Amino acid sequence: MSKASAIPGTARSWRNIPQQVKPRAMSPEGHRRLVVHALKVAGVAVFVAAVCWGAWQTASALQEGPRAIPGVAAAAPVQNLVLVTDGVLDRAWLAHTLALPRKATLMDLDLEQLKARLLASRQVASASVVRNFPATLQVRISERAPVARMLVQQGGAEPRSFLVARDGVVYEGAGYDLPMLDTLPWLDGVRLVRRDGRYEPIAGMDSVAELLARAKMEADSLYRTWHVVSLSRLASDGEIGVRTRDGLTVTFGTQEDFFRQIARLDLILDAARARGGEPVRAVNLSLDDQQVPVTLGAGGPAQAAGTGSGQFEIPNQREL
Amino acid sequence: MSSKHAFIGAVEIGTSKVTALVGEWTGRELAIIGFGECPSRGVIKGAVVDYKAASGCTHSALELAERNAGERIQGVFLAQTGGHLEGFYNDASVNVKAADNMIDRNDINTVCKLAMDKELPEGRMVVDQMRRPFRVDGRVVPTMPENLVGQRLEVGYWTVHGQEQRLADNIHVIRGFNLEVRELVLSSLAAGHMVTKPEERQNGVLAVDIGAGTTDYVLYRDGVPFVTGVVAVAGSHLTNDLSIGLRLTEGQAEKIKLRFGRALVAARDKGDKVWMDGNFGIGDRQFPRHAIEQITAARTWELFEVLRKKLGNSFSPETCPAGIVLTGGTAKLPGIAECAAKVMGVTAHLGEAPSWVAENLRDPGYHAAVGLLYYGVVARAERAPQARRRGGFMDSVTRLFSHA
Repeated sequence: MSKASAIPGTARSWRNIPQQVKPRAMSPEGHRRLVVHALKVAGVAVFVAAVCWGAWQTASALQEGPRAIPGVAAAAPVQNLVLVTDGVLDRAWLAHTLALPRKATLMDLDLEQLKARLLASRQVASASVVRNFPATLQVRISERAPVARMLVQQGGAEPRSFLVARDGVVYEGAGYDLPMLDTLPWLDGVRLVRRDGRYEPIAGMDSVAELLARAKMEADSLYRTWHVVSLSRLASDGEIGVRTRDGLTVTFGTQEDFFRQIARLDLILDAARARGGEPVRAVNLSLDDQQVPVTLGAGGPAQAAGTGSGQFEIPNQREL
Repeated sequence: MSSKHAFIGAVEIGTSKVTALVGEWTGRELAIIGFGECPSRGVIKGAVVDYKAASGCTHSALELAERNAGERIQGVFLAQTGGHLEGFYNDASVNVKAADNMIDRNDINTVCKLAMDKELPEGRMVVDQMRRPFRVDGRVVPTMPENLVGQRLEVGYWTVHGQEQRLADNIHVIRGFNLEVRELVLSSLAAGHMVTKPEERQNGVLAVDIGAGTTDYVLYRDGVPFVTGVVAVAGSHLTNDLSIGLRLTEGQAEKIKLRFGRALVAARDKGDKVWMDGNFGIGDRQFPRHAIEQITAARTWELFEVLRKKLGNSFSPETCPAGIVLTGGTAKLPGIAECAAKVMGVTAHLGEAPSWVAENLRDPGYHAAVGLLYYGVVARAERAPQARRRGGFMDSVTRLFSHA
């Protein structure tokens, strides 16, 4: 028995016949199909190689950091600085704050560092910096809005005016309209704490901001007279004191609805004016509906705080 | 077009013509969308004897079919015939291993492997192996015997093998077109599957595909192919006999055969003559009709006698109640069914293609090609469930590179 015949029949199927043929045994159409097929294979191979190369390049660029990413943008310096804001800051402030080096390209910039510079100004609540290739740097910021102002004296220096936002953040405002700032009341009775070169946010400002916003919206004529807002008894008694330009002292309670308190104040003042006689010097709205102590005459607390000439002192805050 | 669609080619390299079909296989349905045909050259009795000529006509047929379909063929089912094909039966039996005598998958695999593992002579290769029904303790089980109870499990395989060089020649003709041969299907099975019904195959039927160079046959019993074979006598012998007997060229003899040939002598008047061309032109000659019919009938009779002899004990009128179904180009010879019935002793009729086959492919000469596509797809789908798992992205990539 030959060696070949010893192989089991199932192992020697027609499928074992090699299907490769030499090119010379092919017809012209077969050649054409072979070439097309070879091109297809080559195309697939090139595509796969290109994908792999691209993936490898990207991976190595990511490993080496953004500076390693080559591109046409790297060669073009920043030409446009775009600011998108919901407040009053302008492009000049932006340019000054970012202080971009001349001829710096987009890829030279450290976006995180720029963002930190923007947030260093506490007027900026949030910021994002985006590269728009080839040469535009877009900055989008959200600004804090002031609800009150305060004078702060650091050591023996001249007192400086600061603004206070709804969230209690104290900041030096920039770009605001001065007449608008004049309408803001001054804060009193605040204990400022300085940490890492910044003032800590004032606690309880959200209640104050709500009172001021409610007054401005519902009784603007009353709000315009408010000169000083005192927070000295806010933490201990839940009371907000307001002193008007004409010497009236109003005490609001944070437990009661501000709208109702303002309405009652308006009612009391209207009734006093209608009755004539001595002016109202103090109104305490922090008690319940049935009890509203009203002080008449010239001996009220407002007068004690006044200078006698109708001008009021602006309270200075000393930092702790 | 969905990527799930496969465009399969079916190629029958015959002695008189090469037929190529393009089928669109959706995974559920098969539609024939392209057809190409070319007169055969370099092929004698189903065997390639002139590689260049055979390649030329085969590739022309494939090109025509692809152009007709408007799609590129992805792989080919190739019909296989020729006098070199031979078959034998081998069976095996095993004792059921389980204590409760319940047959399990291992028993089935073991007995199948034993039945298939038959040594072949040198230079021979298996073309197809057809399993006959299992027997459990002597009783026939038409389906898989798994979980049946018995002590002895038997099975037999009809193995068809061919000469390695002949098989390689046919495959290389297709590879010359840069196409892969996915299945090698016996012509007899392809044609037989097309012209017989499942009930006929269950009862027992003999399908005979009489081509130009060879006559392929398959005898079905119990719904499966029982015996297949090839007889190297077919339509070209009738032509050759007429050519010698009437002193004609092969072309003239072919023309006479197609116009006046009969499988049984019907002419009573020996003086009745027919014109060769019928146009009364120069060279047109008259021949006695009786002589023509005698020549063709004698050879046809002999063909069926050879067939009966080759079938031997496998065939008997009792085991073939559905009779004989004839197909192939020569089956169009008038009276051939009657001739077959007389010689074989059973009823015979001409096979018809199923109704879904297009009109231009209903001719008996195309039954094998259409069946090749149909049988190839069905056989491939049924053969190995693991083949269905292939076909994903990686398989496509693998195929892409393997074709290069």
